[in-house]
Amino acid sequence: MGTFDVGGSQLDTSWFLLLGAVLFAMGTAGVLVRRNPLIILICIELMLNAVNLTLIAFSRQLENLEGQLFALMTMTVAAAEAVVGLAILVDIFRVRDVEDVDDLSELKG
Amino acid sequence: MAVAVFFVAALLAIAGGIGVISFRQPIRSVLSLVVVMLALSVLFLLLSAQFIFVVQIIVYAGAVMVLFLFVITLLGPARESGRGRLRFQAGLSALFVIALLGLIYAMFQGVHYRQPEQADLSVFGTVQSIAVGLFTSYLYPFELTSILLLIAAIGAVYLSRRDES
Repeated sequence: MGTFDVGGSQLDTSWFLLLGAVLFAMGTAGVLVRRNPLIILICIELMLNAVNLTLIAFSRQLENLEGQLFALMTMTVAAAEAVVGLAILVDIFRVRDVEDVDDLSELKG
Repeated sequence: MAVAVFFVAALLAIAGGIGVISFRQPIRSVLSLVVVMLALSVLFLLLSAQFIFVVQIIVYAGAVMVLFLFVITLLGPARESGRGRLRFQAGLSALFVIALLGLIYAMFQGVHYRQPEQADLSVFGTVQSIAVGLFTSYLYPFELTSILLLIAAIGAVYLSRRDES
């Protein structure tokens, strides 16, 4: 069913999907638990990578290149996100002494 | 052989993922993320995505991670205080993540593996076939990403410029 051939041995697509799900859940856990804004950004990168793995696994399973093109788009968006996020971070850290994201609570009122 | 490669790379990726979310110092998290990305690039190669493999190493493990390292050197070793202000944060997060994993797993039960479209696997995922896709049916989104990157670059320059006054 969901298997494909690599150099004579059969790989199962669901293994890749499961790994992607585990990595995505790890990234979610990091975003929720960690309070250093830099590490939160790193965890978002981890989640985006897990999504890329899923896209490419389905692309291989269906033998359809569109999944790989989507993964390329995701990479572009991830790069843009990292650049803007880090710039905002540098700006915040320059203006004030922030120890973790709990210090940024002005919007709470 | 391919199965062994898969399991080694998957174990490395999971170990790196644990490192990303558990190291206290950001520099170690970033280096763990590099491990995850390199392991994933091996998996991309297994999935016959040669071009994505190269892009993953050059753009992600190279450029984006160097960006993170630069920001860490700029900000200095930020420490994380031992205790957050939200009570039950860790417990609630664990509950949420377990629920998320359960949902994804339930979704897997319904995945219907359609028959492959019998593409020519000798050119699948090469630079040429990716380029044909990017410059024909996906030309418009491809051009839009260049505008997106331009906006991000301008935004980053604007945000991080030093105030002269």
